[in-house]
Amino acid sequence: MAAFNFRPMMWPIAAAAILATVGIAQPPSPPPDRWWKPDEGRRFPAVLDYENDYGVLRTLLIGGPIETRDHAFFRAIGPDGRACVTCHQPADGMSLSAASVQHQWQAVGPRDPLFAAYDGSNCPSLPQQDRASHSLLIDHGLIRIARPWPPLDQNRKPVKADFTIEVVRDPTGCNLDPQWGIDSARHQISVFRRPRPVANFKYIEAMGFAYDPKAGMPLPVDPDTGKPVSGNLMADGRVLSLQSQMREAAGTHLQFMKAMDRKDIAQILDFESRLYVAQQTDRVGGALEADGAEGGPRKLADSPAGRLGSQGVAIWSEFAAWEKPAAIVKDGSAQTAFRQSVARGARLFRDRTFLITDSAGITSPVGFGNPVRNGCAFCHNMSQMGMDVAPGQVDLGTTNQPFADPAPHLPLFRIRCLGKPHPHYGKMILTSDPGYALTTGRCADVGRITLQTLRGLSARAPYFSNGSARDLRGIIDYYDRRYDIRYTEQEKQDMVNLLKSL
Amino acid sequence: MKFLAVLGLLATASGAATTGAELRFLSCPVYRDTDAGKKSGCWLATDPASGIRYDITTAPTKADWNRAVLVEGRVAANPADNPCGGVVLEAARVSVLDRPCTRHMLPAEGFPGRKFVLPDRNVRPLYASHDLPPKPWVAQNFIIPFDFDSDFITYQLSDYYLDRAVSYALDVRASRVDIMAYAATKPTLVSGERLAEDRAIARSRAERVRDWFTMRGIPLQVVHIRWQDAKVPRPGPETDMLVAPSLRVVDIRITPGA
Repeated sequence: MAAFNFRPMMWPIAAAAILATVGIAQPPSPPPDRWWKPDEGRRFPAVLDYENDYGVLRTLLIGGPIETRDHAFFRAIGPDGRACVTCHQPADGMSLSAASVQHQWQAVGPRDPLFAAYDGSNCPSLPQQDRASHSLLIDHGLIRIARPWPPLDQNRKPVKADFTIEVVRDPTGCNLDPQWGIDSARHQISVFRRPRPVANFKYIEAMGFAYDPKAGMPLPVDPDTGKPVSGNLMADGRVLSLQSQMREAAGTHLQFMKAMDRKDIAQILDFESRLYVAQQTDRVGGALEADGAEGGPRKLADSPAGRLGSQGVAIWSEFAAWEKPAAIVKDGSAQTAFRQSVARGARLFRDRTFLITDSAGITSPVGFGNPVRNGCAFCHNMSQMGMDVAPGQVDLGTTNQPFADPAPHLPLFRIRCLGKPHPHYGKMILTSDPGYALTTGRCADVGRITLQTLRGLSARAPYFSNGSARDLRGIIDYYDRRYDIRYTEQEKQDMVNLLKSL
Repeated sequence: MKFLAVLGLLATASGAATTGAELRFLSCPVYRDTDAGKKSGCWLATDPASGIRYDITTAPTKADWNRAVLVEGRVAANPADNPCGGVVLEAARVSVLDRPCTRHMLPAEGFPGRKFVLPDRNVRPLYASHDLPPKPWVAQNFIIPFDFDSDFITYQLSDYYLDRAVSYALDVRASRVDIMAYAATKPTLVSGERLAEDRAIARSRAERVRDWFTMRGIPLQVVHIRWQDAKVPRPGPETDMLVAPSLRVVDIRITPGA
């Protein structure tokens, strides 16, 4: 992916159009409204468009605009001046792209609350004025996540883990830090993860089935309400509801020691539940809802959530109209070629099968078989959204050796299973992030990470929970290596074009 | 004694792929990479006693090519049906064991495999319409099968029956749920090895089934669990009339509320 350099094409559409119309020369700095600072007091419109490298991302706020002044999502709370919006930027699909981080570092430097010592640096004990102390956030878009060891359950009681963990490599210094490390009084393990998008929650919270086949159990129950929940929040499933997530985030990322009050939580819930994000326009392919296609966020807002694509609306059938030659102009144009490519990508996503091996959550403990022949839509099975209808904790190998790509910038942990060996790795596992196992305390869950939504990808590189795929092609290349899929070059491009269009 | 005689017969039932014969053996599974779309690969396992390679693909639990399996099933009626390169076992049950195997994969070699068809025993989604059972509500019994030495709720088998039980309990506002779990603790000779379940697995099964009810909203105080060693096989539809798997079950009785 090209560097994010805030050329005029990156501006909000309205601003760019005005500048183009009146012939104003390119300004030296980006317009102020791409990056949303806490306490700005801007109005959040019902329709908000931002350009990215591939086209235009659209954010819909169903029910109309809101004033953000004193709104809990946009208000700076805690000592660092952070707000929720700091790490969930509208231009980045309500996530945070590494490119935006780099821009903030260049424009503002360590004073920006984004780079708060607690989690916006590699470790709070490092000199906070140095770029190197924030390298994981700046270069990889990674936030420090400090997890308690041993893990705590939903009632904050220690979990008896069936594995031990030791630090093999600690490039940030934080896991061996006397104040912040695993042997410190805090007993923390620092892992580094990408912020998840705060949008399309109708889908993230949807429960398609009452059971989680991966666990052979009913859906998890939120201790606050006693009601079942989808189990699809957070990379490691450490909280079960948005309310819990807000309280957790307030106490960690925002360093806001008091729990958010009910009014704050209700305000944020209202806002987040109304947000729908998707790519709206492609620079080559044009409008993604043109000529019978149904791309863009409107379809998301209008569709029922939590439906299994294999039994209902097929995954990415939003682009089915582009599969029909009559529906698109046969003019040999780049636009036509792009649309055909997207349609092929959607079909590949659904139909191209490969052997899935040694991937806990798929090949164990549920009896799908190891290996099992299936495709992307096996796990990315929810209509319109491409996440898992069941709780989606799966080990793709992005953090576990030998499957993970080399990542010398990340810590490395050695896991020793005390009871049964891991079904695929044996007694000992090397991992840069144990993922779900840091919540459950189970060795069998090491490296399992909750699947993400696949919408708005164009706006929020890099990808995977640890940012190991620098761009969309990196995602496809990883899967191709991991599962020996052997995509052709054309197939890879088709898949990338599909992902661009989501 | 009758039970032992039945199991003894199973243990020695080998040598030929006799239609309808109920088999039980240990094996390292082999994966044949047929490609007829998703979930179309084949699982094969050879009975060491007879040397016959069986097609165990239809089992609800699929094999793991790194681990040994206990295979149970019945030789299918139609010997001409050979999509995978093995004698087809119908009503097959596969239990994945904690014993290592060398992984091995065969190419398709012209075998077509099976195109995936959604099995009859699948849990309905929450968004599907659901009618309450007609009154008068009566006490109902349910049987939940398990893999060998496992308390895992098998996908598209145990979960189907357990979902029916939990749904019934919710629908009739159960005043009492009685759960009796069994383990096949009596050793039997399988492929030359004495095989028996750990006694503790019965309790684990009981607790797991209880959790299914309570996590779905049935009050803990109405759920009563017990467990014991299995004594008598009770083949039924849940175990596809297989004898040995019928010892690894949980019985549930649901009494409707007022």
